[in-house]
Amino acid sequence: MPDTQALVNDFLNKLKKRKIEGSQATAKQTAELLRSVISQTRMPYTNQASALIHSVKAVGERLIAANPVELAVGNVVRRVLHIIREEDLSLTTAAMAGLNLSAESDDEDDTDRDNHPALSAAAIAAASRSTLRPPSLQTLLEDVPDSAAVPHTSSSGGDSEGKSKSADKSSRSRKLKHDVIEAVNELIQDISTCRELIAEQAVEHIHQNEVILTLGSSRTVLEFLCAAKEKKRSFRVFVAEGAPRYQGHLLAKELVTRGLQTTLITDSAVFAMISRVNMVIVGAHAVMANGGVIAPVGLNMVALAAQKHAVPFVVLAGSHKLCPLYPHHPEVLLNELRSPSELLDFGEFSDCLDFGSGIGAPLLHVVNPTFDYVPPKLVSLFITDTGGHNPSYMYRLIADYYSADDLVLERRTASGN
Amino acid sequence: MNRVGLQYLAGDLSGGNARCIAMLQAFQEAIRDYSTPPEKTLTRDLTSKIGGFVSFLIECRPLSMSMGNAIRFLKSRIARLPLTLSESEAKTTLCSDIDRFINEKIVLADKVILRHAAAKIRDGDVLLTYGSSCVVEMILLYAHELGKQFRVVVVDSHPMLEGQKLLRRLVVKGLSCIYTQLNAISYVMHEVTRVFLGASSIFSNGTVYSMVGTASVAMVAHAFRVPVLVCCEAYKFHERVQLDSICFNELGDPDAISKVPGRVDVNFLDNLTDKQKENLELLNLKYDATPSDYISVIVTDYGMIPPTSVPVIVREYRKEYLLI
Repeated sequence: MPDTQALVNDFLNKLKKRKIEGSQATAKQTAELLRSVISQTRMPYTNQASALIHSVKAVGERLIAANPVELAVGNVVRRVLHIIREEDLSLTTAAMAGLNLSAESDDEDDTDRDNHPALSAAAIAAASRSTLRPPSLQTLLEDVPDSAAVPHTSSSGGDSEGKSKSADKSSRSRKLKHDVIEAVNELIQDISTCRELIAEQAVEHIHQNEVILTLGSSRTVLEFLCAAKEKKRSFRVFVAEGAPRYQGHLLAKELVTRGLQTTLITDSAVFAMISRVNMVIVGAHAVMANGGVIAPVGLNMVALAAQKHAVPFVVLAGSHKLCPLYPHHPEVLLNELRSPSELLDFGEFSDCLDFGSGIGAPLLHVVNPTFDYVPPKLVSLFITDTGGHNPSYMYRLIADYYSADDLVLERRTASGN
Repeated sequence: MNRVGLQYLAGDLSGGNARCIAMLQAFQEAIRDYSTPPEKTLTRDLTSKIGGFVSFLIECRPLSMSMGNAIRFLKSRIARLPLTLSESEAKTTLCSDIDRFINEKIVLADKVILRHAAAKIRDGDVLLTYGSSCVVEMILLYAHELGKQFRVVVVDSHPMLEGQKLLRRLVVKGLSCIYTQLNAISYVMHEVTRVFLGASSIFSNGTVYSMVGTASVAMVAHAFRVPVLVCCEAYKFHERVQLDSICFNELGDPDAISKVPGRVDVNFLDNLTDKQKENLELLNLKYDATPSDYISVIVTDYGMIPPTSVPVIVREYRKEYLLI
């Protein structure tokens, strides 16, 4: 598959060099790439789902390793794996339901049963074996279940059944790929429209004469506020500038262009101003399984101030940002340190860098983290494209989008290989 | 007097102590050059002259609390001058009073604060400070001279960026420093063992009035259970009470927010249209009020006191300098 390899390498390069801005763009491109990978995968006669999963996992691990801090990549990979498992399961249950019906109606006409030719019990057993089994102790200890299973199933059927089975399997394999690709297309569509769905809920939360505080810049927040403005709600916005990237300046410019009353304040003034604010609305980089938020730096300080003054702290996040992992030491493990030149000018401070203590280590360290972790108890509400949720509910949404088998994507190498 | 006023305006002179000392020395010069016009009493005329100077200074930049207290001290001294004194004797008395005030209330007070605070620094500590406070800088350098091994985290904020000046002075003396900006305090606070803050004034309900952003630092330190020590001379205490930062504050230059020095890639707010300018307001607050529950202890020249003892000091010791 030279074509997809080139695409994959190109995307890996972009991820490593941090060329893609924003989790929505990253998620969309990841999904499109995985769609190409799926359409290029060769499907064997049996265990198609495992083949698909294998090829998606192989690419997915490399993508995640390229940028481990961008959690949207891992989320989309796991979503696609979940889609494959679900489609496979629904096809098998449909096939088995079809078989049961045709078994009951043996006397009836077979012409309308073209899609589900009558098969013997052995074929039913083979079909159920080829679907993915839930993890049991045996499957966990097996390293490569696919190749071992292939001769097993093919030996179980007789020749005549083999022919009808293979005809059925090839149509099933085409159907599986087709269904998976359709579902991935839906996923891409969902990722693209998540901001509109979130913005639709703006009117429920913003009343008249409100004062809203935000920090830095988030396109989701921008659309949210503009949707409320369009529905004729009157409110004013305090935007904290969000050093050292100063994205708050950008957001303030956008808001005034659309006619919203905006006040730009410094980050240091957030505690001073928050007593006069009705609500804090911010975007997130990622939402973890415990309801904690990985957010742009400075938001933990804002969340603490909001809690002190009993101001609701609302986080807007599309469902592609929901990560099934629990955060362990997120300030260090899920953080990126940016260049110190954003804080200090090297030219001015070059003389300070010459002084060394006895061991020769530099005396001056500059720390410039990108993200902050906000614990779930400081968040009042999550607004996602599926509606509003409490932080304690986020772990349930994981069951909708992800399968338990996919949470750890790195495979152990087998002792024999 | 003009020179001092212009220095305030230009922002060259900043920090409560520096401004107060400069103002008092300017008053000393003005008093030495003063001569009573005929048919006027020294006390009333001098008081009105001082009032004139004060208005000029307010035009340049609103007074800080410490300056307000110093002016009240001076006016009360003038009012208590015995009428039997000749003009030259009155002038020398006033000048020596001003010298004593500066010496006792600022210079010696700082020395006492140094000794108290340095006792609270242990080897292996990581100390955090915000902005540039002259008292905290003295404490850090003093503790370093005593031979204590510690690291300093200097937290800074836009637009003043005062922390960079402090950083340079500390690194030159050989202290190991970490520099960061205010948004990253949750990231660094994990390692910090003590927070030292300066204050412009402390009110009678224990609220600390200081550079904007101090309240955020104290709040995050409190959330991470790190002790917060505020170092402040007693002459800066005031009998006002204040609950939040909005009721009484000083506004700085709004354009200072839209400019980021040294970084051309983030000048988003250049070239705004009129319509945009009409909806956009730039707010540059200079001070904020830190609630007393975030403060562990206040280090003053009267010792280390909890925030609840501030009104006691204001009441008991305020009479003292009026009776010098």
